[in-house]
Amino acid sequence: MTTTPKPPPGHFTILYFATATSFTSKNVESLPAPLSLRKLVGVLEERYKGIKEGVLDHSLVTINLAYVDIPEEGEDDVVIKEGDEVAIIPPVSSG
Amino acid sequence: MQHNSTEEQRSNGVATLANGERTGSGRRLTDEEFDRYSRQMIVPGMGKEAQLRLINSKVLIIGAGGLGCPAAQYIAGAGIGTIGIIDGDVVEPSNLHRQVGHATSRIGMKKADSLISHLRDLNPLPTYVPYTFPISPDNAADIISQYDLVLDCTDNPATRYLISDVCVLLYKPLVSAASVQKSGQLIVLNCPPTPQGRVDKKYPPCYRCCFRTPPPANTQLSCGEAGIMGPVVGLMGVAQAGEAIKILASGLHLPSSTSNDTGDDPHNLIQPALLIHSYDLNAAPGPYTFRALKMASRKKNCIACGENSPQTLTLEGIKSSNPNYLQFCGLQTPKTILPVQDRITASAYHATRQSGQLQNHILLDTREKEHFSFGSIDGAVNVPFGKLLMKAATIKRDGGNAEEILPIKSAEDPIFVVCRRGLDSQEAVEKLKELGVDHGGKRKIVDIIGGMKAWKEEVDPSFPFI
Repeated sequence: MTTTPKPPPGHFTILYFATATSFTSKNVESLPAPLSLRKLVGVLEERYKGIKEGVLDHSLVTINLAYVDIPEEGEDDVVIKEGDEVAIIPPVSSG
Repeated sequence: MQHNSTEEQRSNGVATLANGERTGSGRRLTDEEFDRYSRQMIVPGMGKEAQLRLINSKVLIIGAGGLGCPAAQYIAGAGIGTIGIIDGDVVEPSNLHRQVGHATSRIGMKKADSLISHLRDLNPLPTYVPYTFPISPDNAADIISQYDLVLDCTDNPATRYLISDVCVLLYKPLVSAASVQKSGQLIVLNCPPTPQGRVDKKYPPCYRCCFRTPPPANTQLSCGEAGIMGPVVGLMGVAQAGEAIKILASGLHLPSSTSNDTGDDPHNLIQPALLIHSYDLNAAPGPYTFRALKMASRKKNCIACGENSPQTLTLEGIKSSNPNYLQFCGLQTPKTILPVQDRITASAYHATRQSGQLQNHILLDTREKEHFSFGSIDGAVNVPFGKLLMKAATIKRDGGNAEEILPIKSAEDPIFVVCRRGLDSQEAVEKLKELGVDHGGKRKIVDIIGGMKAWKEEVDPSFPFI
């Protein structure tokens, strides 16, 4: 188990796995923090058109290696903080 | 703190189990077993009782491919008493770079039989049960009910949801792994097995709790289409065997329903985790090769194991196509989606070109660039399907010029679209029309039926089709 380099000040790291990597053509990048988890989907959709339907809707999201639910309307939001590590993990189903 | 004693018992592998028969107590190891399993029995935490539990266990391995082969080797080697192998496919040369339980000499043989012949040679002591047909909603419960633990080594989402659902209903722990291209995942589900509908405390998740919906059908990658690195899938299969052995040796596969309901059930304490493996071909030893992620426990609203699940998922329902797994995974789309006038056979396209009737046209090849690199039809331009969809989505949203989706600028030339097997190309034709690239029907956009596979069969037998 290793860690990725620290993001620049005022940013968090976001890791893309499996089809999220192919969709964004990236393994990792830094995004401005703090950011509400609910807004993350919008921020990513803005950068990568179609990623919501193509990847995010069926992927799981972790913050600092722990699973988080994307909050629905009316549910408490989670804030992604500076230095956090977020991961987008689509299901892999082949074998 | 009240759980300490049980935790200790489990960690030294001699937990006292409710079901005395399964502990194997009262039986001696044979000399052959003693010799064969000595190196793992002396490992701290194992011992004779744990070995006897393995010998008395029954494991079902669903899928005898890239995951199932390595997993089965270690399951057999460890001395699991009964090993069932399900797979309807036959061994093909393209399997052998990763499916290490098969052999060149067994190409064409049913995979379940081929893998078992390998395992018998490795360890003749276990009982091996081949199932040379695929698992299905019809047979899943009958087969799974005969085993203590299931390894999901399959290759498609529809089967993964089916197996998870049946394991929940039959109280079977499920060790699920998956792998494609350069990624692998592994998670232990429904362990310890917990009855449907119990959500009062933290209970283990099922596959649906982790992945509520499958990816859209057009993004579901198979190893055949997307490729797979042998060591990546191999590591996941080996790790699956490791988890299965751990569960069986410590008796964690026994349903928590057998213990009393006083609330201090030690089974509640296991932290579910998802192991992720990503392998980077372009980098020196990658910055993040393995990651273990803390997963959430059972979801309250899960249709398979959550609060009202006894009403939403039953064994009878599964047998009568409720839920319909293929539909759920978007796999029941008809093969032909385009009308005849928008399609042409590979041989007819070739003949039209040869006759000189087709001078200026654009031929789009929507395969991945790696596939394209092995060969293409003369004049074809590569626009991978995923990229095409992304461009289409961008143009649709931002209202850009639809023609920009084409790599060649020409407002009138007819467009032909070819893919690998003829599905993506039809969708691509639809997308282009949706964007108005056909100028309201004035410009022809045509799908080449059956893709490059048909091209090889009908036109150019020497074409290197992968």
